[in-house]
Amino acid sequence: MRILVVEDDPDLSRQLAEALKDTGYAVDVADNGEDGHFMGDTEPYDAVVLDLGLPIIDGISVLQKWRADGKSFPVLILTARDQWSEKVSGFDAGADDYLTKPFHTEELLARLRALLRRAAGHTTDSIEIGGLHVDNRAARCFVDGMPIKLTSHEFRLLSYMAMHKGRVISRTELVEHIYDQDFDRDSNTIEVFVGRLRRKIGTDRIETVRGLGYRLIDPDNAPQKK
Amino acid sequence: MNAGTDKNNPSLVTRLVRSAVLWIVPVLAVVTIALTWFYRQSTYKLFDDPLENAITDLIAAVETNDNTGSDLFLTREPIDPRYQRALSGRYWMIGRYQADGTLLPVQASRSLSGETLNLPIAVRKAIDNKSQSEFRTTAEGPDADEPLRVLARSVILPNGDPVIMLAGADIRDAQRDVRRFAAIAGGLMLLLSAGLVFAVFWQVRLGLKPIFALREKVVDVREGKANRVDGTYPSEIAPLAGELNSLIDHNRDIVERARTHVANLAHGLKTPIAVLQNEAESSRSGLSDIVLRQTKTMKHQVDHHLERARAAARGQVIGVSTPIDDTVTPLARTLERIYRDKDIDFDIQIAPGLMFRGEKRDLEEMVGNLLDNACKWTKARVLVTAEPLEGDESQLTLRVEDDGPGLEKDQYEEALKRGARLDEATPGTGFGLPIVDDLARAYKGSLKLGRSDLGGLSITLTLPGRL
Repeated sequence: MRILVVEDDPDLSRQLAEALKDTGYAVDVADNGEDGHFMGDTEPYDAVVLDLGLPIIDGISVLQKWRADGKSFPVLILTARDQWSEKVSGFDAGADDYLTKPFHTEELLARLRALLRRAAGHTTDSIEIGGLHVDNRAARCFVDGMPIKLTSHEFRLLSYMAMHKGRVISRTELVEHIYDQDFDRDSNTIEVFVGRLRRKIGTDRIETVRGLGYRLIDPDNAPQKK
Repeated sequence: MNAGTDKNNPSLVTRLVRSAVLWIVPVLAVVTIALTWFYRQSTYKLFDDPLENAITDLIAAVETNDNTGSDLFLTREPIDPRYQRALSGRYWMIGRYQADGTLLPVQASRSLSGETLNLPIAVRKAIDNKSQSEFRTTAEGPDADEPLRVLARSVILPNGDPVIMLAGADIRDAQRDVRRFAAIAGGLMLLLSAGLVFAVFWQVRLGLKPIFALREKVVDVREGKANRVDGTYPSEIAPLAGELNSLIDHNRDIVERARTHVANLAHGLKTPIAVLQNEAESSRSGLSDIVLRQTKTMKHQVDHHLERARAAARGQVIGVSTPIDDTVTPLARTLERIYRDKDIDFDIQIAPGLMFRGEKRDLEEMVGNLLDNACKWTKARVLVTAEPLEGDESQLTLRVEDDGPGLEKDQYEEALKRGARLDEATPGTGFGLPIVDDLARAYKGSLKLGRSDLGGLSITLTLPGRL
């Protein structure tokens, strides 16, 4: 899951990025509206945390531009303004949630999780696929009740595939959604991560669809390979 | 702010009407007196010609007779038969002043019946001084209470004998005429004064009408029925209306600016507080405990002062009103999105054109918090109704109902206590309903809790409004 944080306060921005990375998201940061808008426009983010009082272009305008361009990623507005009129204009501009400062990091993470799972069509934070249990809230994973130790990149990969379970996900898509902007994007590393992940959770849980990508499946219910 | 009416400062209408009365009444009184005087003069003049003729006749007919004892006689008497009839009202006489100052008749008309005519002392004095020889005056007639118009001439007879020749006419009828004329003229003038005063009163009312209209407008603005003093005014008070509008704008500006300053300060502090709080939460140490405690205090301070700034500005802006519909609908739309997992069915029934006499942001805070509270508890339905208060068009009721669990009667008071949370599990600040209550009170309205027909809580706001 890749998140864009648009926040002009450097400390808050760093805290948010750290908290989000700790939870297992890939995070990009923009400190003004112009950069934020550009990044949201060009990169496929899974969600955006957007401050309203931004330099160059204000948050509401950025959001309106994204929505006008057909960007549908969930946007959580993070602002000091707590009046209803501001909430109304935020939601009318296309926001999906609204959190006022000062806030607790826990609440932000919970709201963000809710946005992500709603966008993917899930109703709970944890996803179960034939004995594999992915807990997005705690960023942990279990196979048949046994906790599995994963690096943050491995978890991101698993979490993204779990969110879109049953769907074939291309390597490019995986790269775009689990790495942040600064990461060296070599799609071969995906193969390495998939290999490591297979070793930890069971080889047959990740199916390779030749020429298309990967799919997270329930091995006991999997369609027989020809 | 201490403007009012008092006895020492009467109304404009009173001033103008009073000053009009002060000149109308004396002028008309003088006119009446003058008219009467002229009428009397011209009436009396009518007598003077015949009297003049009589005297001319007397002068022409008088003869002196040195031979007889009677010193003078008339060759012919004036011909008017009234001189022959006793007490007819027409008299003539030729007399001579005695040493004691009385007038001794030498010859007299028969109509005098042996009585004599007496002239005022002033006439005699004038004759003695030889300053004047002809007189028009009044005298007592022979009949009881018979005022006469008298023409007198002092004549020196050819033998050097000075006599006075008089002719008189009864002027009672003429006096009656003059009196009647005076009465009629006075009455008419009185009527005219009344008419004039009345006309002045109406003229003043009409002339001051734009001022009264302006006053009504200002009251409307003060009560929030209008945003500005609009309409066209005469050139004398049009600048006043313009100044009033500038004042209203200025007032709005000041309040807005003050509020923006405080809000900016408070909001500017919120991000640093968030940073400190997050930092302290993520690193548990002795220092972080202090920072957490202090940021919590700071947060309360910021909220407190932000709220105070909003409250201080509340009701200060004059002449503002907000359509209910335009406020409730966007809020419902927003809450639908916030609570989209619940799939809430909003039923909004608002009387068309209903306005809240107050600021939009305050109405938004109230309705937003009420709807938020309703959405938090509802199962599926939220009903919003707004209508003018029955029997008082200057108030409106706004009711938000839900089909949630509602509250028991003994919980109502607790729900409005600031900081109280009846719902420890459902997220929220717990400030919602007390804020609404405070706001409603600030607008001299009220908040009432009850049970809805839908099953849940029903909250009714009574606020200043208009259609």
